[in-house]
Amino acid sequence: MAPPRRSRRPRTTLLLLVLAAVTIITLDARGGFHVVTSGVRSVATDAFSPVRSGVNAVVEPIGSFLAGSVHYGAVREQNQKLQAEIDQLKMQDRSAADQAEALSQLSALLHLTFVGNLQTVPAQVTDFGTSNFAATIDINVGRSDGVQLSMPVVGNGGLVGQVVRVSRHTATVRLITDGQSAVGTRYGPPPGSLAVVDGTGAGMPLSADLVPSNTALTNGEVFVTSGLQGALFPAGIPVARVVASHTGDTASQESVSLQPEADLPHLRYVSVVLWGPSS
Amino acid sequence: MLDLRIGGVHPDIMVLLPIVAGIIGGPSRGAGIGFTTGLVSDLFLPTPFGLSALVGCLVGFGVGLATIALDRTVWWLAPMAALGGSALYEVTYGALGSVLGQPQMLHVALARVVIVVSVTNAILAIPAMRLVKWGMAEASTEGMPTSDAGVGAAR
Repeated sequence: MAPPRRSRRPRTTLLLLVLAAVTIITLDARGGFHVVTSGVRSVATDAFSPVRSGVNAVVEPIGSFLAGSVHYGAVREQNQKLQAEIDQLKMQDRSAADQAEALSQLSALLHLTFVGNLQTVPAQVTDFGTSNFAATIDINVGRSDGVQLSMPVVGNGGLVGQVVRVSRHTATVRLITDGQSAVGTRYGPPPGSLAVVDGTGAGMPLSADLVPSNTALTNGEVFVTSGLQGALFPAGIPVARVVASHTGDTASQESVSLQPEADLPHLRYVSVVLWGPSS
Repeated sequence: MLDLRIGGVHPDIMVLLPIVAGIIGGPSRGAGIGFTTGLVSDLFLPTPFGLSALVGCLVGFGVGLATIALDRTVWWLAPMAALGGSALYEVTYGALGSVLGQPQMLHVALARVVIVVSVTNAILAIPAMRLVKWGMAEASTEGMPTSDAGVGAAR
């Protein structure tokens, strides 16, 4: 009896598909092709936006049921709106002192007579994290509203993140808790010391780099954006507050754990700051 | 989807499609559908473009190969394959993402992601099987032994 033969087609198919996928990943990562994939993603996002809204409208009540009876309908929405307003006022209060100090110093040095207010675009959060592997949100404003890549997003008490993808009517925001997020900050009495606040993953505390060992930090101390020349964020936006800090025996840096000022898990409304490093 | 989360993790139904396609149609069909659904998913994900397609075709192929010699009529095959295949998908996805320059993809609560996605997909596996069977004209027999040696000869 002849030995059993097995088709080679499945392996060939797998090989071709793996090669195709690796080619796509490589081309996308190398830059030139990224323009094409970004364009396709933007078109797809715009095209599927109504479908997603429809699906969300159907699924949200189910999700609300699963989340518990506490999260219920209009009361919940009203509560979130009021909470957003309170947090916005808190953020203004916290950043006012820092802005006043910065303004007085700049006015003294440069004889500025006025400082223009930054323009913002309000947005509603339409989705929390399309991937379990990245901390992002989707918002319902895009290029047609003046939103561009890398613009800061604030709300609910402080810095929320940065725009990393824009389509015509929607945008994706990388939260400051995402592992790829790094925010230049300032802390301590003016003029303040510089540090970088890094994300460590959704739901995880932030960490601070470049804080020298044995720095006197108090719990609750707020880190604000540094606004250095070329920085990705304007100065004075509250980023996070210290929840714990300690120095190891042989460490050259203070180990600092921070909590985002913005209430990231309960975001509903945010504002995109129409600002870029060249502003 | 706004509130459809369990422990901060949302279920991932797109992972289920290549798994059930692999069971019904065999390795090639599983790989093809995994690649296609992965590429569509990549359009909406912030992770590297093509990563879902790569992992999808590997998992679809793997499930197709692993179940080819099994009795596909038993009711528990789909839930068990969904449980194992989804876990394999999520771990591979995080590991490959990390290799591709996104180390934060391993800093998520991976165990929680694996458990939530695997269990929800295991629950949804039987209706998904019916859906995919309906979508496919007929189950493929590719990769099966062509002689009369029987399915036991297949690895």
